[in-house]
This record gives sequence, structure tokens and C-alpha cells, in this order.
Amino acid sequence: MAIPALPANYAPPASTSKLTPAITQPKGKLIAAGPAFLGHLRLVRHHDGDFKKFDAATAVEREAALAANGNGNGEEDDLGVGEESEDEALLTLDPKEWKKQDHYRVLGLSHLRWTASPAQIKIAHRKKVLRHHPDKKASDTTAAALGLNMNTNDDAFFKCIQKAHEVLTNAERRRQFDSVDPVFLDEVEDVPSASDFKSNPPPFLATFAPVFEREARFSRIQPVPQLAVPRAADAEAVNDPNDIKGHAFPALKAHVEAFYDFWYNFDSWRSFEWLDKEVNEGSDSRDDKRYTEKKNKSERARRKRDDIARVRGIVDLCLSVDPRIKHIKLQEKEAREAKKAAAGKKSGAPAAPAGKSKKEEEEEKAKKEEEEKAAKAEAKKAKAAAANAAKKARRAQRVEDGA
Amino acid sequence: MAPKPTPNGNAAKPPVEATPSNIPAVVGINFGNAYASIAVYTKEGLAECIANENGERQIACAIAFHGEEIYVGNQAMPQLVKNAQNTITGFRNLLGKKFSEIDQTKTASSAPVIQHPTEADTPAYKVDVLQPAPKPLPTSASNTPAASHAATPRSEPIPSTRILTPQEATTMFLSSLLQSASDFLGKPILGAVITVPPFFTQTQKDALKKAAQDAGVRVLQLLDEASAVLTTTTSPQWPGGAEDRTQLVVDVGASSLSLSVIALRSGLGYILGSKTTTNAANIGGDALSSLLVKHFAKEFTKKTKTALPQPPSTKEDIRATTKLLLALEHTKRTLSASPAPASLSVESLHSGLDYTATIARMRFDLLATPVYTAIASEIKSLLESIAVDPHDIDEIAYVGGTACLPGLDSHLLTSVGFSEDVQTAFSNSTMGSGAIGDPTGVLSTGCALQAALLLGIPAESPDLVQAFDEAEEVKTTARTIGMLFPTAGADDSNGLGGMYISVIHKHTPLPARRIFEVEVTLSGGEGDKATKFGFEVWEVEEGIKVDKVAPPKSDLPPSSDDEDDEPEEVKTKTITKHNFLGTLFGETKGTAVKDKTKKGTYAAAVQIEFAFGTDGVLLVEARDSKGEKVGELRVES
Repeated sequence: MAIPALPANYAPPASTSKLTPAITQPKGKLIAAGPAFLGHLRLVRHHDGDFKKFDAATAVEREAALAANGNGNGEEDDLGVGEESEDEALLTLDPKEWKKQDHYRVLGLSHLRWTASPAQIKIAHRKKVLRHHPDKKASDTTAAALGLNMNTNDDAFFKCIQKAHEVLTNAERRRQFDSVDPVFLDEVEDVPSASDFKSNPPPFLATFAPVFEREARFSRIQPVPQLAVPRAADAEAVNDPNDIKGHAFPALKAHVEAFYDFWYNFDSWRSFEWLDKEVNEGSDSRDDKRYTEKKNKSERARRKRDDIARVRGIVDLCLSVDPRIKHIKLQEKEAREAKKAAAGKKSGAPAAPAGKSKKEEEEEKAKKEEEEKAAKAEAKKAKAAAANAAKKARRAQRVEDGA
Repeated sequence: MAPKPTPNGNAAKPPVEATPSNIPAVVGINFGNAYASIAVYTKEGLAECIANENGERQIACAIAFHGEEIYVGNQAMPQLVKNAQNTITGFRNLLGKKFSEIDQTKTASSAPVIQHPTEADTPAYKVDVLQPAPKPLPTSASNTPAASHAATPRSEPIPSTRILTPQEATTMFLSSLLQSASDFLGKPILGAVITVPPFFTQTQKDALKKAAQDAGVRVLQLLDEASAVLTTTTSPQWPGGAEDRTQLVVDVGASSLSLSVIALRSGLGYILGSKTTTNAANIGGDALSSLLVKHFAKEFTKKTKTALPQPPSTKEDIRATTKLLLALEHTKRTLSASPAPASLSVESLHSGLDYTATIARMRFDLLATPVYTAIASEIKSLLESIAVDPHDIDEIAYVGGTACLPGLDSHLLTSVGFSEDVQTAFSNSTMGSGAIGDPTGVLSTGCALQAALLLGIPAESPDLVQAFDEAEEVKTTARTIGMLFPTAGADDSNGLGGMYISVIHKHTPLPARRIFEVEVTLSGGEGDKATKFGFEVWEVEEGIKVDKVAPPKSDLPPSSDDEDDEPEEVKTKTITKHNFLGTLFGETKGTAVKDKTKKGTYAAAVQIEFAFGTDGVLLVEARDSKGEKVGELRVES
């Protein structure tokens, strides 16, 4: 409603009068029905006819109702799917090249990717279909804003959406796609290498924690132990368990050992069927088909092998530069030496008051060498065992592939 | 560290798998003397009048006993023809009445009302029924004689009589309605609201409540018809439901007519006047039917040379009349629904002769004129008695099957003299079965809305529920209060010297509050220095101006039969200033108006709140878009 301005020379009437008093009406004239009557009752009986109190109470009630019913505005909860921008590159995807498209991006789930639940995929698909269904193209504003002519009889992007939905709703195919998820492949590129640690090594935890977190998704065993020692929920920031010096030794050792144990026996579901070459469509030849299948199989096995080796490489590198291992070894040594010193003090103190003789020193040296040798042997053994495990894994893989 | 989600998407379970259905399991029952209807909340969350399992929205209040069978509803009606002695109709009006209070002079076509054989001064119906035969006593296996080849004779049901009080009949009928409703919803009914006619005494209300409770439902409230209409007509489903208006409720029942004039003020209804006429000779659906029966009986006699005297005396004549009445029900509905002529066909109406006829709307309306006129005169006398001009009525709400007739609507509009833009279910085309404005469903829909409202009141405030049964004493405003935005003389079309907006109408129950959002043009300087706005608050007098307008002279020579020479009355609503209450001056920052023709002017969106408390103080506040107060006016009485 638009209201004209007051005239410049406006002057209100000189005399004002009082309101005509309200008329008291007999009972029963106000109809006792309807929501407005309930509001009137509340206002009069609970809030003494004070609109301010009434408003405040109503607001409180509404909030309580909202809290009770989730989002009470009637809109459906989209489980955090949200909206994602669509650029021209996405809208002009070729459905024929569906194997190369990023299905999560197509459905607008790039922020969730492999963590998207079936419910979220369903919601995302519905959202996209509502916008990109061929029947709705005339009213498509996104495409119009990008200057794309969506009024042609072209439902390419809709086909892409359908393909993405098809892939992501089938557990097996989704697993295959997740194995070669383009974003994962990109991230894998910048894994730290041994040369990074030669001089001026980057911070250990910050470098490796995300790497293992990324790989953890492929583990058949969940949850996956984390590189960093998990903080107790109630612990204050003062005592960071990952700060080696301040941490109790046995807990750290147990965690680190469990971590490397897990990763040396890593059981991955990652597979590479997605990258299989298609059997030539035109060819009816059985031999041709068999040949391609065979090649695909060996290629898959090779890739799997490479992947296992890749993970192992990461773990090896991590182990070799892990400051905690060094710390543990150092502490163990110190503990041993302290023990020995204590034992020596007990037995040797009265016998050798004039210090260590040369012979004793030599003996000690020999003993030390022996110890070192034993340690080396032990390390060798461990390595051999690890190699064995890897071999076993490969064999298992082969058996699986063969089956 | 946050817990890691498991791979391949079990990220998070959806918080709520299936939202519990929040459709209230309530039923609204319009329980008339002739017909009833039920309304429930549908899946869309709207209250709607629903059809029972036989597909009927209007369910006849009748119970017939035929042998071992019991028919309830419209199926019982055909039984009136050959089994009238065992068919019970019109039991609602007898609820809670003593036998001595019942008018015995009327002849009924259904089971007669008798004195209850055991209870003193209680009306009852006596019907013949067949009781299923008692099961034969189980015979022991031992000392059984050899099996005979003759079949065991079938045990016959035993003829007996059953005594039913009107209350028991009501319980039977209501439980069949409740069954239909709970079948529709697929869950048990938690509560019901039932209509009662305004002439029901407290004893009758208690009897109805008792009957409903015996039928196994919690009665949340007994709602009188005007209240049920109010609930429907102020709901968001109703076109213009939230507006302040004066409404005339025309409830044409089978035998009664109730009229109410209600001032609707932001959902609150305030009765200005009401009138109920029962058992009048010329009012209601029964009167209409009897007029039509007379007409068709005459036609039948003319056509077949077989006498069918009205009122009927012999048994055969009574049967024929009943048949005709049953067939007429269909004819009336067809006429309400479509403008085409409706047919009436009765097989073997009298002495084995079939009868088929058609009747057009024009002829029908002509026949029904006495009824229409009687209703119109009742309305006129009500409006006169409460000094409300027909022009002040903004809306007519029709209730009841007879009110579905378009002829009644047009007759009332012309003969009572409502204004041309009065809202009716016909003018805003919400007629038709199942639509919100359908007169046959208005009451039950209102009851369902009310039931859901009562069921939704939190348990911690039982006083509110109680208050619905008590009458409130209220204060209402005596005059209409409005705001006047003065303008510089140019367009003084209404004679008030500015732009006038009615805020709080006459008869608004207190405390009342109205909030307006307006865009004010600011003054008091050049460009953005203009920060001032203001308006006057007036009490006004609303009136009606009657202009006598001579009909336009036609160029053609006046013909002798053209008698339209007397001047026509043209009524217009007028508003005159009565009391000046004060001026509200406010200051706020505005934004430049985009319109090129008004370049350089600044405007601001202002929210104006009028709050009229029970203490007789009117507080006018203006707030800007941020909710900060920019102007205030206080008026005391």
C-alpha cells in the first residue's frame, strides 16, 4: 500500500476527543470456537490481555515446537546435500563419455564423495532431476545464465545424471568407481617421498596423517587406526599425546606398534575393474573377447599389485622417518642401560672399586656389538616377515582374481 | 578426532526415517435431524467432508430393522416404503425429551413414537425384529441314536420385538458414522465434535453427549451450528477467511431455519443477532418437498387419471407419497448441481403405474417460491430487529442441503436487497460436492477443525479447554476506528480529505490488535532530508446513502407494459468523521523511490500497530523495517 506524503502546510485539527468507551456485552455473544478464540482466551486468561507478554509466550512456544519437530518450516531435511554450482563444463558433459565423468560432481555431491550415504544420493539425484529433466528445460535459469541454449532437443546432461545415479546406487559399481575416484587419484600424486625427508624434513604428523586418512577408506577392516595417538576426549590441550616428550611411553609404543602392524597387513577392497578396456563392440569373435578379457584381468592384477606396493612404500617411508620409533628405541635403550647400571652397581660395586678394567671395557664393547647384531637380525626378520605377508597378500589377490 | 565414517556411504543415518503422521485422528459430525455428514483430516492435512463406505456425503439419519438385518443411513430410507413400521427417522430431535413433551399430532411415515413400556414418561420406538435362534444344546457323543437320513431341521429365527429409545437409536447411528470415519483414517478416532441445533436444551445436550459416549468416542465439544460455520469460514481454506466482515449464516434444515448475523473480526466471531424458526409451515427442506409432492401428485393424476390425494389418507396413498419423496431427493440434488432440467422417475408409483417427469429450474423455483419468500422474510425481520442494513452484510454462508439450490440464492439476493458484491458460495464458486463452500459439508468441516484445535491444546492448560464450554463476557468497540492520511485537497473523493483505511471495525471484541504494513512517502525536506510522515486517527460513522436514481430514459416510445418509471434505489456505503482522536507524527529514514515520475521523493516501509486493550486505551505505534519504534500515539477513553 503506498501512502501519499503529508501536505507541506498540514496542521492537525485543533481539538481532540476521547475514545468512545467500549461496550460491555452479555455473555455468550462471542462464539466459542476457532483458533482465534483460543488465541483470545490465551491472551485474556494467561497474559492479562497484554499483547507483549502474549507475543513473547507465543515466540517461546513456537521455538519449542520447532525444536521438537526438527526443522518445523515444513521443508524436508536434505541430509546436508545442499546446492552445488554448475559450470558450463559440467552442463556440457557428453553422456557417451560417461566413464570419464565425475559422478559425484554430476550429482552435486563433490563435498561428500565416497562418504555420501544412499539416502543422500537419492536426495541429490531428485534435486538434479527436478532441475534438469527435459520437461523442465524451458524454465532452466542456470543454463540461460550461462548462455547455453537448453531449448534444443538435448537432454545430454540429464542422461549424465541418470548414468551417475545408476553407478552410485549400485554398490558394486560404486565400489569400482570409488577405487579410481579422480579426486583420490589427484591427491595421491603429491604423496611425500623419501627425498623430502633427506634435508629439512616437513612436520611428520601433518604430512602423513592425511595420507593415511585418505588410504583408510579402502580398508575392509574399520575403523582404521590413526597415525596420531588419539586424544582422550576429556584431556586438555596441555597434554598432547602426540607430543613425544610429554607422553607416557608404553601407551605410545602400543599405539605405534598396532598402527604399523595394521598397515603392513593392510586389507584393501580397492579394485580396478573400472579401467577395463571394453570388448570391441563390433567384433563377434570369441577369441577377440577372450583376449581382451585376459588382458583386462592381468592389467587389473598388475594395478592391484602396484597399489599394494604403493601403500607399502608409503608405510615404509613413514616408518623410516617416524620420530616416535627413534624415540621409543632411545627410551628402550636408556631403560636397558639404567637396568644394567643398576645391576652392575649391585654386583660390581664392591668387587671393582677402581673402575672398569680394559678387559671389561672390551667385553662390554663386544656385548654391545652382539646386541647390535641381534637387533639387526631382528629387524631383518621383521622385514622378511613383512615381505612374506606382502607375498601372501599378493597370492590371495591372485586367487581372488582367478576365482 | 571425529569418528570416521565407514566407506561407501554409511555417512550418517537420516535423523528421522519416517515422520510420524501428524494428521489428527478426529472427526467432525454434523448431526442433523434428517441428514448427517462427517468430516476428517485428509492426507493433505485439510479438513474435508468425506463420503462413507457407500459413497454418500450426506447420510440420512435413519435406522431400519428388517428381519435379522439392520440398515443404517441411506440404505434404510427405501425401507420407509414397505417396512415403515420398523424404520426409525427423526430421532435426533427427540433426544432427551420426555414422552409427554412430544407433539403427538403429527403423523409420521416411519415407526411411531410410543411410551416406553417400563420406563416412566420416556419415548421409545417399537420395532419387529428376528432374533437368531438359540444354538441347539450340544449333544453328548455317547448314547447317540443311529444317524437318521433325514436332514436336521434348520433352527428358525424367533420373531420378537425390540424397544429402542431415541438415545439408543442415536448411539447406533453415531457408531456407524464413527466406523466410517475410522475406516477412512485407518486408525481409531481420538475425539469428536458434534453439532447441536441452537434450540437444544441442556438436557438434550447431555443426552446427545451420553449417546455419543456410548458409541465409543470422546466428545470434545458440542458445537452449535453458528460456531461450526465460523470455524470453517475463518479457516485458511475458505476464500477470504481472514478478513474482517459481517456474515449472515443461513442454515436451512429439513424442518428448521436458523439465521445468525456474525461480526467476524480477525477470526473472532461476535453474534450480532440470531433467530431460529422450527416447525413453521413454509420453511425448510420438508416444506419444499411437500410442495413438490403436491405438484407431482397433481401431474400424476392428470397424466394417468389415477387419484393421488394430498395429504394422503389411505395406506396405498401414503406409500406412493413416500416413494415420491424418496425420488424427489435425487431430483433436488440434480437441480442444485446442474442447470439442466432434472428428471423424476418412480416405478409403480400408484396402482402399478410408473411415473416419469422432468422439471426445469425455472418451474422448480416457481414452485418453491413460497419457501424462498418465507426464508427471505425471516432474514428481513432478523436484520430489522438488530438494525443491520442488508447492505452491511459482506458474506452469506449457506448451510444445509436446501441451501444448495441456486434459486434460493438468487431469490434472497434480489428480495432482501443485499449489495451486489456480497460473497456467497455461489459467487466465489466454492459450491459443488466436496468443495469447501458446499453447504452440506460446512458444518462437519468446522467440527473437524474445532476437534483438531481442541485436541491440540496442551494438557497443562485444561482451563482453556473448559473455557470453550463457558460463555465469555466481552467488551467490544463501539465505533469503527480508522486512519486517515491527509492529502492536499486534490483527490478528495470520499469527502474525508485524504486516504482512509478502516482499522478496527465496530463490534470488535477487546483486546484487539491490528497490524498494517504501509509504504509511506516522506515529507519535510528535499531528497533524503525528508524523514517525516504522519496520519490522523479517527472514529468514524459508517452509514448507507440511498440515492434515488431515475431509470435512463429510453429513446423508444414508452410502451404501456413498461412500468419501470419509478426511481431505482441505489445504496452506497458512506463514511463520515465522528471523533478526532489524534495525529501520529513519525520520523524515519527512507529510500529513494524508483519510479521515475516521482523522482526525488523518499519512501519508507512502516508497520503500524493498533492495540486496543480491555482497559480502554488505544495505543498506536509505528515501526520501521528493523522493528524500531518511529512514532507513537496513545488515546484514552
